[in-house]
Amino acid sequence: MDEPSSSADTPLWKVVELDQFHTPEKTQASQWRRSLRSVSSWLGGKSDAEHQVKGESELRRLPEVRLAHLVPPIDWAPAASALALELDGQDAPVTFFITTPYSGHVAVVRQWAEKHNIACVPTPSLSELAAGGTEWVEQCAHHREWAVPALERCFLRHTQGIQGIREFLERALSGRLGKGVIGCDSWTYAFLQRVMGLDGAPAFTLQSMEGEQLSRYFAMIAGHGGQPPAVYSTRSGRQLLPDAETKRNEKAPYKELQRLAAHCRGHIGLAWHYWRERLREPTESEEEGLWMVDALAEAELAADTGDIATLVLHALLIHGGLDDHSLGEVLPFSHHEALNARLALQRKGIVSSYEGRWQVAPLSYANVRQLLESRNYLVDPL
Amino acid sequence: MEEEQKYERLFNDIDSQALITLGIVLLSAIVLIIVSQRLLNWVGNRMHGQVRFRIFAMVPMTRLLILITALAIIVPTIIEPSLRNMVTVMGALGLAIGFAMKDYVSSLIAGVVSAVELPYRPGDWVQIEDTYGEVKHVGLRTVDIQTPDDDLVYVPHLKLWDHAVYNANNGGTSLQCVASFYLHPEHEAGWVRKALRDVALTSAYLTFDKPIVVVAEEKPWGTHYRIRAYPVDPRQQFLFITDLTLRGKQVLSASGVPSAMLPPDAALDTRNAVGSASSRGVG
Repeated sequence: MDEPSSSADTPLWKVVELDQFHTPEKTQASQWRRSLRSVSSWLGGKSDAEHQVKGESELRRLPEVRLAHLVPPIDWAPAASALALELDGQDAPVTFFITTPYSGHVAVVRQWAEKHNIACVPTPSLSELAAGGTEWVEQCAHHREWAVPALERCFLRHTQGIQGIREFLERALSGRLGKGVIGCDSWTYAFLQRVMGLDGAPAFTLQSMEGEQLSRYFAMIAGHGGQPPAVYSTRSGRQLLPDAETKRNEKAPYKELQRLAAHCRGHIGLAWHYWRERLREPTESEEEGLWMVDALAEAELAADTGDIATLVLHALLIHGGLDDHSLGEVLPFSHHEALNARLALQRKGIVSSYEGRWQVAPLSYANVRQLLESRNYLVDPL
Repeated sequence: MEEEQKYERLFNDIDSQALITLGIVLLSAIVLIIVSQRLLNWVGNRMHGQVRFRIFAMVPMTRLLILITALAIIVPTIIEPSLRNMVTVMGALGLAIGFAMKDYVSSLIAGVVSAVELPYRPGDWVQIEDTYGEVKHVGLRTVDIQTPDDDLVYVPHLKLWDHAVYNANNGGTSLQCVASFYLHPEHEAGWVRKALRDVALTSAYLTFDKPIVVVAEEKPWGTHYRIRAYPVDPRQQFLFITDLTLRGKQVLSASGVPSAMLPPDAALDTRNAVGSASSRGVG
């Protein structure tokens, strides 16, 4: 992994080879802080660990309309263009583009394919996967060039469920299916790498963003090309987005957003969810400006989380989300137990429904990843 | 008269101050041992992975250090610490131990050796003679092993001197599990091997840090297959073997692979049961 660059003119969207990916500065410190917080809440119960300049009671959530204006959905087109630049020089039969959950590999590969008039292979149905069917693989054979935006939708972790993807990858990697680009969740990639071996194919990902880049990005989407509104941190009271003065002096305070970047391991998709969920406005109408409540205050996983919950979370991440029926199929206990565990996690806010599937909630992702890593489960390379 | 003077020189004068010192040292040692053992076990039981085993490994060592420190304070308080006095005391102690408490003291000494050599520590899965289970506590005289049937077996440390100790995970998280399948000789062996490997690869309990090996062995009654693989956590071993066995049976029977028909007197190979739990499911 390379040393991170701290240059202020670093492009926001940079596609790099997987082994060039590096986490933002202070990521390790962020993990230690999370562990410490977990231990202290375990020993002494949950408490407001840090002093806040502005209390949450003085703030309220923004109306949906205003929130949609200030934090619009991420436009992945620049990332698709950056991917196109990297793919131009590629001769390999298959190229992977991987990102963490919520970080846009599906949208990026789909947009890239649309722009280049390349066919996207439809994902197989769950019943086809459960039966070990390989008909969907033939869809690729009809095209000289093709794209699979979400490889995580093409397998289930059981003996039948991996037959189709195995045949697909064997044929694709050997070049028998022409040339393709595969978008893949980073957890699925880690799993398939161990199960089938993907070392022969080049893999790209989005480079992590530092605090300065997050600050620029949030200012850009909130300002719509003009001056962004003033956003302050409830923790420090400092302004988070650079105004004209700080831009000129190049002394923009990125400490808070660097904390967020480190917490999200530099993944813009996760940071966007935090930004959207944590923006508040003062209850007093005469006060101006917006506030971002403490970025690290999230749904926490207890240190003594049981094996069943851990296995459910791991299965959800490996598959990029699952419905209840499929979840029961890939876990070594009854559907009833799997459902119970999923409901308990949902109640705590650790899993949520996203695009019709249960997934680890974006604000819990960092905690869940750290828990799984500490318990020796397979984790993603990002 | 001369003999009396000799013994007077052997022991120090035990006045009230010395008695108070001895009492305080003994009490402190006992309290420290109890607190440290409980605290370390409590913390260790709430940890996972390698950290758990590191904390457990500190349990007997901490107790040993406290005991040595206490003895280092107590002995010079009671006995005039000269070479002659030490030889006299050790000789007398040796005689008493040799006749009366040989096995007890042998276990205590083996306990000290076990704290240094670490043939087992809390959290390890060990087999000593016919007892297989998880080491729950390494005491002064015994090691407490909890069997899968939830029996707590107290095995004296002196077994260390003349019995093999099979340690399945040796202070780490990797513990090999074996799931056996006994198949009729008429089947496509290559396909079965691949299918059993897929069964292991798709288990939720599998750790990918260690290899999966499918071993086939031809027997007079058929073919004996074993999946050798490692769970994420040693405590998942029985769930892991069950998962492998059930899903393996399902895959084999769905493909029409017949089970071996064992003659009643066929002796199953139990050699591989040592040091790791092995399922006896017939697939």
